[in-house]
Amino acid sequence: MLFNSMEFAIFFPLVTALYFLLPQRWRVQLLLAASCLFYMAFIPAYILILIVTILIDYVAGIYLERVQDPKQKKILLWVSILSTCTVLFIFKYFGFFTGSFVGLAGLFGWHLPRPIIGIILPIGLSFHTFQSLSYVVEVYRGNQKAEHNFIVYATYVMFFPQLVAGPIERPQNLLHQFREWHAFHYADVAAGLKRMGWGFFKKLVVADRLALYVNDVYGAPRSFNGLQLTLATFFFAYQIYCDFSGYSDIAIGAAQVLGFRLMENFNTPYYSMSVSEFWRRWHISLSTWFRDYVYVPLGGNRVSKNRHILNLMITFTVSGLWHGANWTYVIWGFLNGLYLIIGWLTKDVRNRFWNAVGFHEHTLARKATMLLSTFTLTCIAWIIFRARNMNDAFYVFTHLASGWNFHQIATEQFFLRQLPVAFAAILVLEIGQLWNSVVSVPAFVGKIPTVARWTLYASFIMTIVMFGIYKQTQFIYFQF
Amino acid sequence: MANEPTFDETLTRNAFPASADVARLDGNGQPSAAQTHAEADAAMTQSWSGIGRIFSFFAIIVVLAFAMNAMITSGLRRTKTSLFGVENQIMEGKVNVQVLIAGSSRAIAHYDPRVIESITGHTAYNVGRNGAQTDMQVAFLKAYLAHNQKPQVVIFNLDAFTFVTSRDVFDPVEYTPYLYDPTLYDALRKINPGIWKSKYIPLYGYVVEDMNFSWVRGLRGFFGWNPKEDFFLGFNPRTKQWTDDFARMKENNPSGVRFEIQTKGMNVMQDLIRTCQQNGIQLIFVYSPEYTEMQALEKDRPEVFKLFHDLSQQFNVPFWDYSDWKHSNDQDFFQNSQHLNLAGAEVFSEDVANQLKTYLASHSQSAENSQLTGRLNHPTQD
Repeated sequence: MLFNSMEFAIFFPLVTALYFLLPQRWRVQLLLAASCLFYMAFIPAYILILIVTILIDYVAGIYLERVQDPKQKKILLWVSILSTCTVLFIFKYFGFFTGSFVGLAGLFGWHLPRPIIGIILPIGLSFHTFQSLSYVVEVYRGNQKAEHNFIVYATYVMFFPQLVAGPIERPQNLLHQFREWHAFHYADVAAGLKRMGWGFFKKLVVADRLALYVNDVYGAPRSFNGLQLTLATFFFAYQIYCDFSGYSDIAIGAAQVLGFRLMENFNTPYYSMSVSEFWRRWHISLSTWFRDYVYVPLGGNRVSKNRHILNLMITFTVSGLWHGANWTYVIWGFLNGLYLIIGWLTKDVRNRFWNAVGFHEHTLARKATMLLSTFTLTCIAWIIFRARNMNDAFYVFTHLASGWNFHQIATEQFFLRQLPVAFAAILVLEIGQLWNSVVSVPAFVGKIPTVARWTLYASFIMTIVMFGIYKQTQFIYFQF
Repeated sequence: MANEPTFDETLTRNAFPASADVARLDGNGQPSAAQTHAEADAAMTQSWSGIGRIFSFFAIIVVLAFAMNAMITSGLRRTKTSLFGVENQIMEGKVNVQVLIAGSSRAIAHYDPRVIESITGHTAYNVGRNGAQTDMQVAFLKAYLAHNQKPQVVIFNLDAFTFVTSRDVFDPVEYTPYLYDPTLYDALRKINPGIWKSKYIPLYGYVVEDMNFSWVRGLRGFFGWNPKEDFFLGFNPRTKQWTDDFARMKENNPSGVRFEIQTKGMNVMQDLIRTCQQNGIQLIFVYSPEYTEMQALEKDRPEVFKLFHDLSQQFNVPFWDYSDWKHSNDQDFFQNSQHLNLAGAEVFSEDVANQLKTYLASHSQSAENSQLTGRLNHPTQD
């Protein structure tokens, strides 16, 4: 079920009402049933895959706690990880790896038949797989007690607000919340609804409108001029941010309405002064996941310089592969790793340069330059991420600066009259974010007299209603 | 940069501190019973007050949505110019002409009723529909007939895709203000059963089904603002010169295109003929000019044209084929392979008006003759 659907508009108030009406002993069951319904709205049969993953890690968690021998414990952990990852591999990567292998064999003159498999990737598979893996690792490390109640564990993996696109929660943060009593609290419900409203603005007004342009241009880049390619790339940076952070806002808000606290997933990433900072502000639940379960176990930065570089490259390349079974994602991850390493290696030189030209750390010009250069580097990486293949990405790179025609901006789906709306939406987003970085907007608005406040809220909702795009486009990150 | 944190720096941010309302449960799965009854009552009252506030707020939103919907609909129905101006004239029964032109976007862009009026001396109007397949064109024609006096002649413009029926309603917002009309609503419901949402859910037809901000036009219309006129007696000329549409189409379809001949499409055409016959309207089929090179790319054109001729003969409907029009090979007269530009439309309108004038003259002559013959045979009838 999509958050931006009529079904969800009926589903969510009903589930919320039932949740608060039921006694605690039935609430988890309700959440599990609701989560199953939510997931089955996509492809019902795929819930079986989810059940397999849940069963593997549920049993593994219990045995990991029981087994005392460290060696046996480690074997059990790896069996659990490999089993869970096998499911992910079959549904997400089998075609990619076999295709790549056949391609590679072709280079050596072995013409192997390309296996034809018609598997549709289950929505959000990478997310709940990672959440499940996080649970077994934490139980293995002794940071989390094994959950013996199957219903509670299944609800932890399937909790509908964050089931298909995160935030990827850690058991220490979420699991215990299913055992706690959440009273109906107006302030929490209202805050959750406001958060959802902001998420819907990002998704429906910004992301989905920009998507019309981006899809047209990146669908056939050779039909568009340099200006259109540049604009589409700029729009994609905002589209993917608003799509994904909008989803996270709706997820966090929906959970908050029910009394749950989910972790933050984004922290205005385009205000970063370096790629390293960007990755601390973008998809936080995933980057911390990779940090805790891949980068640190590899040795992190407490190793030789070369090994540290290798660790970073492995982490980012695997992170790229997590995003999709396509070489564009792998190269995108690799490129980000490269950015980080170059940034790390040149840090001292760059500092000396800035100081030499008189731009000290807190100079506005230095900050602006760093912010813009980080955004540009990110956009360059987004080109690879969004392109259908590397040929298209190369074409976009080489034609960004050519044939700019200001009389030819519109596309088939994106008429010229939509352009001011798109820019206005981005402007509202930025004003909202900047304002919130100075003072908490919800707290500020909360002090306004009720009539004025409600007028403001109503105007905002009507803006979403009137300027939103309702083509029921999926959230980009569902595919991952 | 000097103090820039490293990748390893821990990120353990949680936006929300643990809520004070989250309390551990006792063994019975109920809140640990430290609260007194008074506290519980106060909490309950607060909860109900909160629920009331949330309901009140969403009730206001619903009322606003209904009010906005009513304003937009009213504004669009008040619009006097452009597309909605044409639709309002039709739905308010203010057209009442002798020669009516119906069809798709090719009809809208090809027939200038002003030229037809000046040459034939008969009043004329164009009710062509952009993006409409034959089923929608016929439905709109029926809506016209329900609200206006019957025309003497209907020129129905044919297309290569005439026998293909609609998969979806193109630009449904064009019909949203008029969903009260049963003919139109039933036709739309057959194409898209979900059209009820546009009728009954406030704003659905204006914001979900439309991305062109037609609601802005509606609000402007509500306050008396009319858009610039670009429809002339229903004729909406295409001012652009030859575009690269055809080149792109050829690139995407190097082996040509096929248009299905659907039984449903045949039934719609027969329904059109029946409707005209029942209303005593002279129906004329016209295949307006199409760029010559495109004609060769339409793979089942011979079959489609055979059906046009069959229908024409079977039901005695004149069929004027302008496939070999004198300018069919001249890009100066076209915007793309399917649509004439303004210059092309003016020349074609003259040609078709002259043919119509001749036809009407001979038709009235033969009608007079048959009336005279009738009088001679039945002298007491008068």
